[in-house]
Amino acid sequence: MIQFEHVSKVYETQSDENVALEDINIQIEEGEFVFILGHSGAGKSTFLKLMLMEEKPTKGKVFINGQDLTRLRRRKVPYMRRQMGVVFQDFRLIPTMTVYENVAFAMRVTNISSKTIKNRVPFALSLVGLEDKMDRLPDELSGGEQQRVAVARALAHGPKLIIADEPTGNIDPEMSMDIMQLFEAINKVHITVVVVTHEHELVQKLAQKYNNRVITLAHGQVASDTSHPEVAEMYEARMREMGMEPTYL
Amino acid sequence: MRFSSFAYLVGQGLHNMRANRLMTFASMGVQTVCMILVGAALLFSMNIDAMVDYIGEQNESYVYLVDGLSDEQITAAGEAIKAVPGVVEVTYISPTDVLTEFDDMLSSYTNLTDTFSSDNPFHSMYKVVVDDVANIDPIIEDLSMIENVESVSATRELSKLFVSVQTVVNYISYGLVAVLALVSIVVINNTIRLTVFARRKEIGIMKLVGATNGFIRFPFFVEGVTSGLISAAASSGVVCGAYYALYRFYLENPTTLSNLLGGTLVPLEEVWYYIVLGFVAFGFVMCGIGTATSIRKHLNV
Repeated sequence: MIQFEHVSKVYETQSDENVALEDINIQIEEGEFVFILGHSGAGKSTFLKLMLMEEKPTKGKVFINGQDLTRLRRRKVPYMRRQMGVVFQDFRLIPTMTVYENVAFAMRVTNISSKTIKNRVPFALSLVGLEDKMDRLPDELSGGEQQRVAVARALAHGPKLIIADEPTGNIDPEMSMDIMQLFEAINKVHITVVVVTHEHELVQKLAQKYNNRVITLAHGQVASDTSHPEVAEMYEARMREMGMEPTYL
Repeated sequence: MRFSSFAYLVGQGLHNMRANRLMTFASMGVQTVCMILVGAALLFSMNIDAMVDYIGEQNESYVYLVDGLSDEQITAAGEAIKAVPGVVEVTYISPTDVLTEFDDMLSSYTNLTDTFSSDNPFHSMYKVVVDDVANIDPIIEDLSMIENVESVSATRELSKLFVSVQTVVNYISYGLVAVLALVSIVVINNTIRLTVFARRKEIGIMKLVGATNGFIRFPFFVEGVTSGLISAAASSGVVCGAYYALYRFYLENPTTLSNLLGGTLVPLEEVWYYIVLGFVAFGFVMCGIGTATSIRKHLNV
């Protein structure tokens, strides 16, 4: 489903080079629920931008559904993005559209008929418990509710992959657990879920409960992967070779 | 594209105008003011041009005939003068007419009619008006070649002066229109960019949910065209209304100066379609295409 093959990303400034990701190898299979965990500056955002095709890697290849994103033509990018649903920390709902219209919009861009939209939007909103707030504007909702609208929007066009960027970053802890459980429910119907977050405690709690895979990024490298214990040993060896102390979070 | 998608995008463009009404209103206000300024400058130029034309038309030439011609020969000369290309008006003036005119002018000193009634020294002549004083030289040459024409009198220097004045006035007035149009394009483009900048996040969200550039651009295009056309309608109304009022006022309140300049402005029915069509084209091109292209850099997400 998702494959990072020796991916490096270097941001060049006028005087400096900033290595955001260094020789990353990750494979995520269809139907998996994976947390990408890391502190600020670990490379999470770059990892996400590469998947969303906002950036291209300096080296290596990124595949989604077997399609090499590094060789994808610019005009094909929107069609690739339609294969996934994305949830952002700041919700990114269009403020001038109602809840219904925000969810319907993601379906309209994929040229789905109005009849199907009319049926599917209320269904998507009922999945996140917001069917009674369809006519509200985003600003009239709480942070948790806005995030649930964003989840409904991500689901509405029926993607096989959901990517969430710090989905609990702007909502209270109780609501955070609700949102994460919503993702668990989504994953149960064989939708691949990738949650990128820095919330270590929340991830530990959930991973223990649901046995999720956790990939930790540190210094732009994969520091650990619960599905591949050997990754941590390799990371520690690499860091010692560089004369650095291995850190995770 | 499905018809439902097309209808949705058109509706979305109109919805966005309402949703962002403050920016839409500001943008339309700027567009309207700019169009009014350009329209006013254009009408000013057209009228200056017409006035200079009128003054030029008052430039008369005289064709003197040889003495002792029969009525038939005089009529034949008149027909030949009329047939010269560029001649628009020909008036016959008999020796008696000239004598009477001079007699009237000098009535307090002498009685010319009595003195010269039996031996009128004046020649028959034709007063000639040409359509374009810029072509006075070849016309005079043609007139001189006509049978029984003794000489042609024309104020060539004055004619040339009029042509020069008209050229300068044309350059200045149409230059003014061009400068105002350019300023309007810059101002309108900036306003559109500001409107689009205020909605860059919205554009970014659309891109991230998989919208194509065309899908994002189309509602902006609809919005731009609609606001451009509304501005065109408003400015056409203001400019044509104000011009008609000015036209009536000018006509009903003649002054010595206005009479010298022709006594009337260019009638509204001769210019309104230039104004309306110009504004509609300006509104469509500037606002529609301007909006659609202004979002280009925000589409690189």
